[in-house]
Amino acid sequence: MDSTKRSLMTRLGALTVGAAIIPVSGANPLTTTIIRNSEAPDRKGQSGKRYAMVVDLRKCVGCQACTVGCSIENQAPIGQFRTTVKQYEVTLDDGSSELQNVKSFTLPRLCNHCENPPCVKVCPVQATFQRDDGIVMVDNERCVACAYCVQACPYDARFINEETLTADKCTFCAHRLEEGLLPACVETCVGGARIIGDIKDPNSHISHLMREHQDDIKVLKPEENTQPHVFYIGMDDALTSKIDGKVAIYDPAGENA
Amino acid sequence: MDNKRRQFLKSGLAVGGVGAFAAGYATTTSHAVHGIIDGTAGKKTKHPHHGNSLTPEYKVTENGKLINNPAQRVAPSMCFGCWTLCGLRVRVDNASDEILRISGNPYHPLSNEHQIPFNTPVKDAYIAMAGEAGLAGRSTACARGNGMMEIRKSPYRITQPLKRVGNRGEGKWIPISYEQLLEEVVEGGDLFGEGHVDGLRVIRDVKTPLDPLNPEYGPKANQLLMTNAGNEGRDDLFKRFAFNSYGTRNFGHHGSYCGYSFRAGSGALMNDLNKFAHVKPDLENCEFALYIGMSPAQAGNPFKRQARQLATARTKGNFSYTVVSPALPASSSLAAGDNNNWLPIKPGSDSALVLGMIQWILANDKFNTAFLTQPGPNAMKTAGTAHWCNATHLVISDKDHPRYGYFLRASEVDLGFTGTALSESDPYVIVDAQSGDLSVHTQDQPARLFIDQVVTTKQGDVQVKSSLQHLKESAFAHDLEFYSAQCDIPVATITALAKRFTSHGTKAVVDSHGGNMHSNGFYNAYTILMLNALIGNINLKGGVMAKSGGYPTSGNGPRYDFTKFKNKVKPKGIFLSRSKFPYQKTSEYKRRIAAGESPYPTRSPWYPISAPLLTEHLSAAVDGYPYRAKAWINHMANPMYGVPGLANLLGDKLKDPKQLPLIVSVDAFINETTALSDYIVPDTVTYESWGMVTPWHGVPTKTVTARWPIVNALTEKTADGRSINLENFLIDIAKKMQLGGFGDNAISDSQGNWHGIHNAEDFYLRAAANLAYVANGVPAASSEDMVLSGLERLLPAMQRVLTPEELGKVAFIFARGGRFENATEAYKGEEMKYKWQKPLAIWNEKLGTSRNTMTGEYYSGCPTWHPQKLADGTPLAEKYPTTEWPFTLTNFKSNIHSAVSNLSPRLNSIKGVNPVYIHPTDAAKIGLTTGAMFTITTPTSATKAMALIVDGVKQGTLGFEHGFGHKELGERAHWIGDTQQPVKMKSNDGVNINDIGLIDPTREGKGVLLDWVVGAAARQALPAKISLG
Repeated sequence: MDSTKRSLMTRLGALTVGAAIIPVSGANPLTTTIIRNSEAPDRKGQSGKRYAMVVDLRKCVGCQACTVGCSIENQAPIGQFRTTVKQYEVTLDDGSSELQNVKSFTLPRLCNHCENPPCVKVCPVQATFQRDDGIVMVDNERCVACAYCVQACPYDARFINEETLTADKCTFCAHRLEEGLLPACVETCVGGARIIGDIKDPNSHISHLMREHQDDIKVLKPEENTQPHVFYIGMDDALTSKIDGKVAIYDPAGENA
Repeated sequence: MDNKRRQFLKSGLAVGGVGAFAAGYATTTSHAVHGIIDGTAGKKTKHPHHGNSLTPEYKVTENGKLINNPAQRVAPSMCFGCWTLCGLRVRVDNASDEILRISGNPYHPLSNEHQIPFNTPVKDAYIAMAGEAGLAGRSTACARGNGMMEIRKSPYRITQPLKRVGNRGEGKWIPISYEQLLEEVVEGGDLFGEGHVDGLRVIRDVKTPLDPLNPEYGPKANQLLMTNAGNEGRDDLFKRFAFNSYGTRNFGHHGSYCGYSFRAGSGALMNDLNKFAHVKPDLENCEFALYIGMSPAQAGNPFKRQARQLATARTKGNFSYTVVSPALPASSSLAAGDNNNWLPIKPGSDSALVLGMIQWILANDKFNTAFLTQPGPNAMKTAGTAHWCNATHLVISDKDHPRYGYFLRASEVDLGFTGTALSESDPYVIVDAQSGDLSVHTQDQPARLFIDQVVTTKQGDVQVKSSLQHLKESAFAHDLEFYSAQCDIPVATITALAKRFTSHGTKAVVDSHGGNMHSNGFYNAYTILMLNALIGNINLKGGVMAKSGGYPTSGNGPRYDFTKFKNKVKPKGIFLSRSKFPYQKTSEYKRRIAAGESPYPTRSPWYPISAPLLTEHLSAAVDGYPYRAKAWINHMANPMYGVPGLANLLGDKLKDPKQLPLIVSVDAFINETTALSDYIVPDTVTYESWGMVTPWHGVPTKTVTARWPIVNALTEKTADGRSINLENFLIDIAKKMQLGGFGDNAISDSQGNWHGIHNAEDFYLRAAANLAYVANGVPAASSEDMVLSGLERLLPAMQRVLTPEELGKVAFIFARGGRFENATEAYKGEEMKYKWQKPLAIWNEKLGTSRNTMTGEYYSGCPTWHPQKLADGTPLAEKYPTTEWPFTLTNFKSNIHSAVSNLSPRLNSIKGVNPVYIHPTDAAKIGLTTGAMFTITTPTSATKAMALIVDGVKQGTLGFEHGFGHKELGERAHWIGDTQQPVKMKSNDGVNINDIGLIDPTREGKGVLLDWVVGAAARQALPAKISLG
């Protein structure tokens, strides 16, 4: 088997996220002390804010603009990604329609900037930390690439950057947020699906959206008790109840896809 | 190792120490151990927290102030990652002149839903894209738009003039000087040690007929074929050279293998067989959209704008849509809920589905009577409709009548007319709705829709039928079960779709596009689009809109007149592709009639209604029918990749210089076609070049994208310091040959003073001056506009070419990347501001009176069911029965790749191959699994592909994603002098459906399978079989 074929096959598989998506309200409250490693003064970020992202899946067109924009903005090595968008086909077969209904489903993924980030606590060198504004980051000067955090993240959001040999992940483009600009993925989102903002500000666009869709906001793997701060609109119930066989039509070729 | 880190390590590694820690993570062991011992592991990042992320281009403070980053500039440009040609904003590093990242231009309607008002200062436009405001104001680039910047510094880029060594197509080149290039191309000679080759100077004879027996073919100069990929902004200069300086008739572009069946079919309905206009939905206000042969958000033009509009429409609550296609596109959305669905269809059978719908609509009186019954503009005004059509016009329908297929005119039945009989001013005849009497279409009252009667004319009794009667008979020629069997969609689904489509008044639309590239694509498209006519949605808010167009640039403008110059020539003669000329007027036809033989069939088809066709140019030039070509200048066009079957038909022939003695390509890269050149002229890439272009469609307001070199050209320079590129190459040839239109005194200003065109900016800055002054003109740019858009670097050129007043206005345009009407101008009340004026053609007279030169038969003048056919009319299914060829192929555009994006490593890292879609039932029959290789064989060729088993493809169909399967553009390492290009970027580039396209066996003059009416490429619905391995 040639290498292309092998890599394609390993990247194909059943859509497993569906069953793991339940409403935010179903998550357990946090009971443990959270380690943030944020004591140093340069690890505070924008105190007083709490950044989060809403991905309105109804608007995601699966165009991968975010994937490429992020890759360039953050100079990730080619083939390694801080954000990905997988494209699935979902077969809905409730027996009622004459024709089998097949639909496309795209799922942008990135670091969830969890309120209870499992990556932070496992870092043996305290390189990974969470700022006051909720953004989980890596100190590249401390990171020793042990990959504990890569293993600890339930979302496969981290990887060891093969050029810097440090843990790498989405930072919500903190370097841009700090300058009043939008993250690369957000500013180039063709469908307008990605919304970033401060959820502590009741007047922010993201706060409005979350209030408007409060019954339909879901997160990935809430049972992990990580309290993710990337929220999804448009995770249809069909995903959890009627999914038949499905194949990732489309998958970034990177090792962390 | 510094102290702090050691301290961290100690606490972190308390449990097992370095050894145990490292052993637990085999894959990263070496990195970790290395890091712990040496203190440095990989390449140090720029910033401890932000890693290697780019430094922001500017800062917008909490109180809304913009603070510039002097190390960077942000300049407007144009994307050429696909043919949507979106406006961009490009971040450039000032020190290195490197492009850092690309996003959308806030002024540009192709990158926004509602572009920012044109007069907004550049600073405010940037601020509007930042922070909270930026969420609504974002102006985007798609994956290609982001990734295509990588081509500029691609190791496969050509930067110096090349001449082939060895045989044509061998992949071996030597760099030559620009002067040598010009000398050899113009003067010819024994250029390759293979014998004499005519240069451009000898070939240019604009007086002597190239073939005395067939003088209508035109002068010898027509033996130069000039093609480009299409209008990426420099068409005007290219055509000025081809038509008016050199004087060849033969110009072509990629249109004939990119959606032409659709445009031609649309042109039939729009009554525009000249420019083949089409309409696009007003997605902001329509309630139901039916997509057939196009998949918004998957592809289409405009790709990005309509994707964004679709995303908005499907979340606002009163919009739903259906996508009809053989393979599931990204257009459908599970997340958006029940408001959308995918309806799988057998490839190439869309017109059966739609004729079934039309039959139901006519049978159930669900058409828009108010629209269809208005016979002309006066009645339209009375009725208050937004448009009119020829549904009620009477067609002479007696096949033996000399005017069969033409509309009956007032002069023929003694009704009043002015001017010459049968001319434009001789009205069409209709039957008045009220009286039932014959009348003329200029009346201000409605006419009867269904007429089938004998009319007494001056020449006797004639059978006439109204256009709508013809459509009705065509739609009822088969029953619903027949149509259902053709398209493999149940009758109930067909009628339900017809009902749904007609349940929204005029706020429903049918849209189609490049998915019509079948051998019956023309009629397919004409039929599909007829649905819009039946509900009368044209020119209406929530219906379909005409193209808004742009503003004039390089024409006769307010500042400069580009249209007149000394030694201007007019091209004459017949296109190589035998298009747009009635065969019945040729010498050949007359000779055959005179010899008493049948004038049909011809050696190869003629295309009476078609534009020039690059699908035929090369086959014709090699076959010599109508004549041979001696030289070919090609700018970026890639027919050997894009025309199905052409590489098989001509790949080897074009390697023989005797077939086409001189091939010169202008391109920044070597593609499948330019690899067959004798010379390659290096070209600038889009960020380095000038260009002006209007959007293809889908924008309701006037738009001109005007791009200028925002970074330095990386091509070599001419002796006098200009970059080598397309414009300078053509200018210098013209000057060397002393042709008109270039060099000194080539263009006059409004005062009658003459100016020279010695380089691209001489041309495009003056075109920009026209653009800046038309339609009441624009204000002068502020110096802040100029600084913030990086326009300062253009100042020396602007000062040299423009007057001070022109400079300020031109700067206003260039600082914004073009000229854009405000988004608020889209509508006038309940109608679109820009309206389609020509009556819609339910019956197309030109079509219905033209003949197929292979069979001698008339074309049908209205939508009609035709199966897939070969050129002589033989159905494909008869020649290639399904028993032997059980599969049909379908091709869809990639949402990631276009035909030119293979050179972006980042795009390839996202999607590098295109496994072919196959249905689980079909795969199971031969034991095929996802990821396995299998062979797909057509009657002409075969290819090996990787399988992807999906429910999202019609059973019996194989789905190919376009943009893969390159053999060049980075896939082959050419030798340039003694240096080889980097060897192959990836191990597998997937497959290209065009490599297994069909050669038409029924033509005497060999050609590939094409649409039998208009000669567009046929890459859909091809017969195939599969086998394992």
